[in-house]
Amino acid sequence: MTGLAVDDAAWASAWRTRSPVDKLLLCAGLVVCALVLPAWPGSVLVALAAVVLALGPARVPARTFVRAVRWPLAFVLTGALTAVVSVDGGGVGWAPDAAARAGELVGHSVAGGAAVLLLATTTPMTDLLAALRRLRVPAAVVEVAGVTYRMLFVLLESVRTIREAQTARMGHSTWRRSYRSSGALAAAVLTRSWQRARRLQEGLAGRGLETGLRVLPESRPSSRGFLAATAAGLAALVAVGVLL
Amino acid sequence: MHIAEGFLPAPHAVGWTVAAAPFVVHGARAVVREVREHPESTLLLGAAGAFTFVLSAIKLPSVTGSSSHPTGTGAGAVLFRPPVMALLGTVVLLFQALLLAHGGLTTLGANAFAFAVVGPWAGYGAYRLTRALGAGLLPGVFVALALADLATYVTTSLQLALAFPDAASGVLGAAGKFLGVFALTQVPLAVGEGLLGVLLFRVLTVNARPELERLGVLRPAAAAEPAEEAR
Repeated sequence: MTGLAVDDAAWASAWRTRSPVDKLLLCAGLVVCALVLPAWPGSVLVALAAVVLALGPARVPARTFVRAVRWPLAFVLTGALTAVVSVDGGGVGWAPDAAARAGELVGHSVAGGAAVLLLATTTPMTDLLAALRRLRVPAAVVEVAGVTYRMLFVLLESVRTIREAQTARMGHSTWRRSYRSSGALAAAVLTRSWQRARRLQEGLAGRGLETGLRVLPESRPSSRGFLAATAAGLAALVAVGVLL
Repeated sequence: MHIAEGFLPAPHAVGWTVAAAPFVVHGARAVVREVREHPESTLLLGAAGAFTFVLSAIKLPSVTGSSSHPTGTGAGAVLFRPPVMALLGTVVLLFQALLLAHGGLTTLGANAFAFAVVGPWAGYGAYRLTRALGAGLLPGVFVALALADLATYVTTSLQLALAFPDAASGVLGAAGKFLGVFALTQVPLAVGEGLLGVLLFRVLTVNARPELERLGVLRPAAAAEPAEEAR
């Protein structure tokens, strides 16, 4: 358990051993379909495909998937509602064909969100960063992102522990104290992150840090069957989405 | 507040990605140069990115009942300068999109423009201006963090307004709508984040003075002068 449900799901997923490039192609295809195909039936089909693939062959826990979409859904619903309410000179009313437009917006967002989540719950960040390196993103940038990812969990754990200790000492009993505690918490986490970086750096320097942070890449061969199924599935989605 | 995946129409998603790209590439260049000259900064920059991510996980009590989360880019802009934050902010947005399902991939460009470009630059500009006018560190920090937060929220609202102009009153009317709806959570949050920044930097000036001096946030005060005389 690392504390981020989506990350846990990615490491435990049945698709963990698949090539990240394969999964990236599939999910990018679904994301693009969700964006450009008409909401009906395109978005519905993309959302269905993503959910079925995640819960079926990739064996992502349904709970994780549902919990992960709650917050974005709150934004999507508020945003969609605001977009279709018409304000003019003090009068507030529904814009023409408000229901259809709101439905389209929610459809595109939910389908796109499900497709991104399919990638997020099946591919750990380290695999994605390695794929970024292959897409010619500079090594220094990928390494900084890699350190960020690896340090996240330690710092999140610090936040949890410090907050628990503060709460036990009545540090969050009133607003005033809560703000003071949050400030101290942020400062403690920042100084800890610096200390940790310094200790890591000293340890690595002792081991001869000269050519960047090299790790052994895991070789995950791309599957022809998977790629063929991706191409066929996406083609079918586009055909149905455009023709219907 | 990040725009969710799929919410922006394709031309807008592409347009904002193109708009954010030069800033992010500029930041990436700054990072590559920094790492080439000082290989050890990889770890410090990674720590800064992780801190920005974690700061957005700290809950603040808010007037509107629910708790809200600071954006953290204002603090980063003061500590590490806006070009670096353009890259670190984009990395943090990518992680938020993939680890928290907050934001999205096609909307990454639009979110990066608001969160990693406009926010840090607005905050940093306000910080430099207040410091130049003779204000102390803490007022500068308050203005920087509050303004970085507000600028991010205003930019996001304008991006939404451009994508979804009001049927009757056009882009301006839509901007009013989006600004109004999200003001409920974002304005108290901006003030809260400013206060949090003051508390944060007050602790840092006591506990992490050498680090702040090295980053150029604090001038090496009394300690530096005898050293200069000695030379």
